[in-house]
Amino acid sequence: MANNNLIIRIAGDGGEGIISTGDFIAAACARSGLEVYTFKTFPAEVRGGYAMYQVRTGNAALHNPGNTFDIFCALNSEAFEINRDRLTPGTAVVYDDTFSPEIPEGVHAYPIPMTVTSKQLGLKKAKNMAALGALSHLFDIPAKALKKVLADTFASKGEDVVQANLAAFEKGAEQAEDLRKTDTWKLPKASKSKKAKDVIMLSGNQAIGLGALIAGLDFYSAYPITPASEIAKYLAVNLPKMGGTLIQAEDEIASISQVVGASFAGKKAMTATSGPGLSLMSEMLGFAFMSEAPVVVVNVQRGGPSTGLPTKHEQSDLFAAVYGSHGDAARIVLSVENVADCVSMTVDALNLAETYACPVILLSESSLAFSSQTIPTPDPDHIKVVERKRWDGEGEYHRYAMTEDFISPMADPGTPCALHIATGLEHNADGTPNYAAATHEAMTAKRFDKLKALPDAYMPVEIDAARGAEKDEKADVGIIAWGSSIGVVREAITALRADGIKVKGFYPKLIWPMQVAQFEAFAKTCRTVLVVEINHQGQLAHLIRAASTLNPVSHAVCGGLPFTPAQIGAKVRELL
Amino acid sequence: MKNEPVEAVPMRPKDYESGVHPVWCAGCGNYGVLSGLYRALAELNVDPTNLVNVSGIGCSSRLPYFLKAYKMHTLHGRAGPVATGVQLARPDLKVLVTGGDGDGFSIGGGHMPHLARTNVNLTYVLMDNHIYGLTKGQSSPTSRRIMKAYTTPYGGIEEPMRPLLYMLTYGATYVAQAYSGNAKMCAELIKGGLEHKGFAYIHILSPCITFNKIDTADYFKDIIKDIPEKHDVTDLHKAMHLIYKFKDKEPVGLLYKSHRPTLDTIMADLVTQAGGSKDYDIRKIIDQARP
Repeated sequence: MANNNLIIRIAGDGGEGIISTGDFIAAACARSGLEVYTFKTFPAEVRGGYAMYQVRTGNAALHNPGNTFDIFCALNSEAFEINRDRLTPGTAVVYDDTFSPEIPEGVHAYPIPMTVTSKQLGLKKAKNMAALGALSHLFDIPAKALKKVLADTFASKGEDVVQANLAAFEKGAEQAEDLRKTDTWKLPKASKSKKAKDVIMLSGNQAIGLGALIAGLDFYSAYPITPASEIAKYLAVNLPKMGGTLIQAEDEIASISQVVGASFAGKKAMTATSGPGLSLMSEMLGFAFMSEAPVVVVNVQRGGPSTGLPTKHEQSDLFAAVYGSHGDAARIVLSVENVADCVSMTVDALNLAETYACPVILLSESSLAFSSQTIPTPDPDHIKVVERKRWDGEGEYHRYAMTEDFISPMADPGTPCALHIATGLEHNADGTPNYAAATHEAMTAKRFDKLKALPDAYMPVEIDAARGAEKDEKADVGIIAWGSSIGVVREAITALRADGIKVKGFYPKLIWPMQVAQFEAFAKTCRTVLVVEINHQGQLAHLIRAASTLNPVSHAVCGGLPFTPAQIGAKVRELL
Repeated sequence: MKNEPVEAVPMRPKDYESGVHPVWCAGCGNYGVLSGLYRALAELNVDPTNLVNVSGIGCSSRLPYFLKAYKMHTLHGRAGPVATGVQLARPDLKVLVTGGDGDGFSIGGGHMPHLARTNVNLTYVLMDNHIYGLTKGQSSPTSRRIMKAYTTPYGGIEEPMRPLLYMLTYGATYVAQAYSGNAKMCAELIKGGLEHKGFAYIHILSPCITFNKIDTADYFKDIIKDIPEKHDVTDLHKAMHLIYKFKDKEPVGLLYKSHRPTLDTIMADLVTQAGGSKDYDIRKIIDQARP
């Protein structure tokens, strides 16, 4: 068991409760005081098809869903065959005994009569419950915690349903008892000090919603799109509780337009989308930049371009996020690594929009959207929430007045003596259209110069240096990663260091405006800089070359799957 | 100047002038609309501080610059949804959208149905000159087929759409039409729209003196016909039937007026239903995520 954590994968047909079973395992582990990091894939079609849920759990912090599994549970033969290559010697597989697959050598196999049990109990779909019972018995997944989660979840469906599912669970456990255990895999026990840990567990998308609520979101308008719709689902339930407004608009252009309107009216407003929606929003984001409107767009990246691969992992919207509008327009671009960031950096996004009066794009990824992770419970009393700079009422009001920090005080409609126009035309300080060269130069400079303070004002880029080493200790290879690739690189670096390789990591989260000075300082301490990302064009590498003197090696791979630590390790070794 | 106590002085139409001289050509129908708008606002004593005028792109979308209010000069076709955002965020404000036929029904056509069916509480004044003036004379979705224009030098190729029928079908709860040359009627109908709780649509035929050589003031004066006094404005079918009965004549006056809950009141009810308030303890929401 690597790093004292266990990776369990359950797979089968979408209609067989794969996702809920995975959720039960994740919840039981979290309740027992373990860290949890999940990864799931949904059936490609609305009705049925292969679905998979992977739970990684252990005591130490988890940074990615793991290379491959230790334990696999196949509810049908299709699932078994899809995962056959991952069944390496030492892994364990629990499967429904209605099919008899050829078991690869060295794999510990546990056939369980899941379908038979379900039928015997007169239940249509309790295969997964029998499987859960078997898994619980074989691998020490706490039965008590599992049964409590089951009971809590099915309570609304009536006591009969609860009892029936518990019966299937018990039967599965019984049947596993009859089998001889031939492997050593079992769930680690939560370290005692963490027993009373204060954690919540939620998916990346839910966490973005929660972050927005903590930051005081007033208005949310969005259009459904995979994989961002769940942000709307979470906020549809919870934003009205906070007295806010949520609306599903007729399209993405209407969404961002409504957000811009709500922002003009003095409210904190946000939308969420994916690549295709972000493309649609480019014009309005240019208007938000030109009219200096605080707005936030969450972009949950998926396989592109165009309709692309709606449910697959990719980090290919960076160019669109940074450069996506015509003219000299800019936006602040942030990128999250994990669920904890989804909470804190959504707060950052709304705060930065308020501070700099411009559009902020928060980049997330589809794999993170549905990944549930345990994180320390946020404390809203200790999270800073920023309000926009508002006019103090002195003198004459000019919406686009030049100030020391280039940020003009704003005035909500309803404020006496501050009547003004927000316009997309080039304008004077008071909003009057003005196309003179000097005006355009001065106002463009203002809109860009106000962002210059941000690279130093934002949290410094994390440098992953060897424990006890100085941040500027020399390394042979410095790896720059962004988004969820960071989590994979962390693990790759640990393994490389164990082999004595001098390697460091650099994990930017504010992508634009780039913290160039810190990139330069980091590069000085590395013989070679390697940028790793899941997209074809090496988008971050490209931005780095454009904005700094760095000349990194770019390892850019597109294919719809995240990196594995082994792949990163191999690339680093190539460069030594 | 700071919040000095303001005496409640009755507003006059001139008080809504921003001081910026309109950029429209002399003889543009929009002057009549603007004059009607100033009058309507004065008669209702609307406080410019609580008025938000949103426009898109086009000659008529320049109107906000000439109005004393909070204003937004946004993007082609997008004034409707931007204004929706303003209205939902601040239902206490009076929200007015002003724009043209291309802005509203060509690029903006996809948003119109939703403004009407969701009954956003705002007033939409659309100035229809059957042409694209700002870009120098292309045909619009309301252009007559016979017109030769910028991209139709051999003559028109499409039938015009019927804005009033569209808005009635989409579910607008206040539908009216006027001719810009009748500033008094414009004022009356815009006033009714501003007073109306719900989505108010006022379509104003407004000739473009510079680029539209066939839909002139004389042409409009000839085809408009007053909606009879006895017309039942509460009946949707009668409103549609009137348009058909009028054949080639354009009805002017109030066509239809009804009431149903506005989008913002439904949103407010939702908050109540969810047990929500500004003081809700967010920890209750955080707690729901405990494993």
